[in-house]
Amino acid sequence: MSELRQTLKAQIIEQLNLEDLTPADIKNDAPLFGNDGLGLDSIDALEFIVLLESSYDIKVADPSAGKEIFHSIDSLAAYIEKNQ
Amino acid sequence: MEIFITGYGMISCIGSTIDESLEYLRAEKTGIQLGAFEALPQYRVGVVPFSNDEIKAKFNISTDGSRTALLGMVAAKQAFEGHKLNDSIRTGLISGTSVGGMDISEREYKNFLEQTNHNPANYKHHASGTSSEEIAKELGVTEFINTISTACSSAANSLMMGARMIKNGLLDRVIVGGTDGLSSFTISGFKSLMIFDDELCRPFDESRKGLNLGEGAGFIVLESEKSLKLSGKKPLAKLTGWSNASDAFHQTASSPNGYGATISMQEALNVAGLQAQDIDYINAHGTATPNNDLSESHAIKTIFKDAIPPFSSTKAYTGHTLAASGGIEAVFAILAIQQGLLYPNLNFSTPIEETGLIPQLKFEEGKTIKNVLSNSFGFGGNNSTVILSAI
Amino acid sequence: MYYIHSRASITCQDSFRTDNVCEKLVVIDDTSDVVSPEYKEFIPPASLRRLSPVLKMGLTASIECKNQSGKDFDAIVVGTGLGCLKDTEKFLSTFLTSTSDFLSPTAFIQSTHNTIGGQISLGLGNHAYNMTHTQNSVSFEVSLLDAMMCINEGKKNVLVGAADEKIDFLKEVQPNLISADFPLCSGASFFVLSPEKSEVQVKAISTTFSSENVLTDIAAFLDVHNLEMEKIDLLLHSNDGIEEHVTPKDAFNFLDYSGFHYSASAFALHIAHDYLVNEEKEWALIVNDMCPTNIGIMLIQRDEA
Repeated sequence: MSELRQTLKAQIIEQLNLEDLTPADIKNDAPLFGNDGLGLDSIDALEFIVLLESSYDIKVADPSAGKEIFHSIDSLAAYIEKNQ
Repeated sequence: MEIFITGYGMISCIGSTIDESLEYLRAEKTGIQLGAFEALPQYRVGVVPFSNDEIKAKFNISTDGSRTALLGMVAAKQAFEGHKLNDSIRTGLISGTSVGGMDISEREYKNFLEQTNHNPANYKHHASGTSSEEIAKELGVTEFINTISTACSSAANSLMMGARMIKNGLLDRVIVGGTDGLSSFTISGFKSLMIFDDELCRPFDESRKGLNLGEGAGFIVLESEKSLKLSGKKPLAKLTGWSNASDAFHQTASSPNGYGATISMQEALNVAGLQAQDIDYINAHGTATPNNDLSESHAIKTIFKDAIPPFSSTKAYTGHTLAASGGIEAVFAILAIQQGLLYPNLNFSTPIEETGLIPQLKFEEGKTIKNVLSNSFGFGGNNSTVILSAI
Repeated sequence: MYYIHSRASITCQDSFRTDNVCEKLVVIDDTSDVVSPEYKEFIPPASLRRLSPVLKMGLTASIECKNQSGKDFDAIVVGTGLGCLKDTEKFLSTFLTSTSDFLSPTAFIQSTHNTIGGQISLGLGNHAYNMTHTQNSVSFEVSLLDAMMCINEGKKNVLVGAADEKIDFLKEVQPNLISADFPLCSGASFFVLSPEKSEVQVKAISTTFSSENVLTDIAAFLDVHNLEMEKIDLLLHSNDGIEEHVTPKDAFNFLDYSGFHYSASAFALHIAHDYLVNEEKEWALIVNDMCPTNIGIMLIQRDEA
């Protein structure tokens, strides 16, 4: 389901205003958070939750669950596929 | 040069007078209720149970203003009661607020978006600075007016600025504190941060999930010795320590080890000329968010080591009143000093595993409370601490 | 003594990184817009992507001041009249129009007035005193007063400035939220204040909150400082009516160049500084009566020695 991954990358770039990035810059298994990754932080994690609800109708009630779900594009895509 | 406190006033969901508030405190009863904010009844919040018009009528307020300004007028008037303005005492007002007149602005902006009955005249109350000008107008203060807006540390910072202006010889007497009226903007904002507790908040508890919002205002009157001689007022307590430091960790989260909080507590002690063991009670910031309470616990342990005095968060009583919290909690500190009180940290059952701290669990009186340390930490890593002491 | 060691402004003028901001001043109009530096040079992309104009301007001007001074700040004091308007409006729109349980938090987080100061401390890794004053048109004057107290209290390197941003909605609500006869604009001006000697100092400052007549306030201020208006080399004011009644050696309305926003008097200080240095003059007086009842007056002196 690489289409979902491509879409996710584009959505993330838009939602988080990552102006300098293209989907090609984001690897599927690369960590999104922290200094080793894209440098996303806890505010971005909340933005992810908003994105999941608005685009995929999935509600994440507990923000601390975000760490695992949003670890990488792969983990995010897997979560969406599982919960749709 | 000492800074004397000669008046105090507050209004919140636990009362619009000091006596009413003491009743709730003594009864260990919260003022936070589900559905208290009409426009968003799904939230558990601490609301002053009067509309803006009712506040004006009940408290004889003649100045127009937003809810934030009106609540501020009530508390500031209480604090300033019995004081007189005259030319020989340079008197100022410094208020803290985070949202100013947002309760009116958000209604008007909704009209704008819906293109119905938009009345731009109503934005005149919006600016934070304007809310302070309105409070000053109600009191007749004209010499100096300032507004500090550092989110949840605003009122504590107002206390600090007031003390410094007296020490720097710029004012003789200053009414300091903070006020925030609850608005849909604020509630929605904190909702977006996902840091609410659907139940009553549990500060410093292992199972804590988040905060309950509140609204209110708290003001105290600071005077120099010179002013005291001229005003003839009896000092109730002293403001002896103050400090502000930056956590510089993240825009909303506190550093895991409470670095900024540690600096602010230590510096406040230094300003007061006190050691950690001189503190008889800590009124913690204690919002009951997973992040703050852990971070603050670490900071408390760093400063107080094995000799942690009784401490509690009173936010389970009043809700987190944002910019007003430092002012309301200063009032609690003065009452604690005057009447030997210790306030319980409501809704507590299990200490935070990582730090093991157990707060004060019961309301007590007749204690010897000479020095109270009060923390207020705001977004942007703005950490403030004030210390109030007995005469 | 309160010496100015560095200064940086981002405004509708070509004011950033110039030795003499006075050289390039042009009268602004309704079409004027902020002349932005390359923000990427100052702010990492992970932060930059979120920041509203007022945050970018305030943070960049502060970093530039730090670069100029080369020292860590031991206090940071920021003034802002209306705060982070863009994010405030954005979040208002968000929650007023959304039917969802989940709202985008970034705009709310950045809507508090002290986000400017908070971003500066974050950006510089600075743990010192960090204050945000918001008193409408005299927000900068009060901030400067705070900065001067910091120096009285022993601080050596104080960052002090002010920033305000224009949003389209302000035009809609004139003259209620803001009342202006000049084109609205955005601007940020920051300075480093220090007790260590430099060429230009802030000699004195006053605020009046119940002014009945600005000319009376000016006269009283000059009287306290044993100066006559005739000795003032440059009078910067926000009210053309003042010029008809006083006789400094030179005078102009700073709002013609800053545009109207509540931090404009901070830019006036930058103009005054550069004027005194480049024209080799001694005294500048800045009279801010953007709001007629709340007056801010600043006296600036250049050491002629």
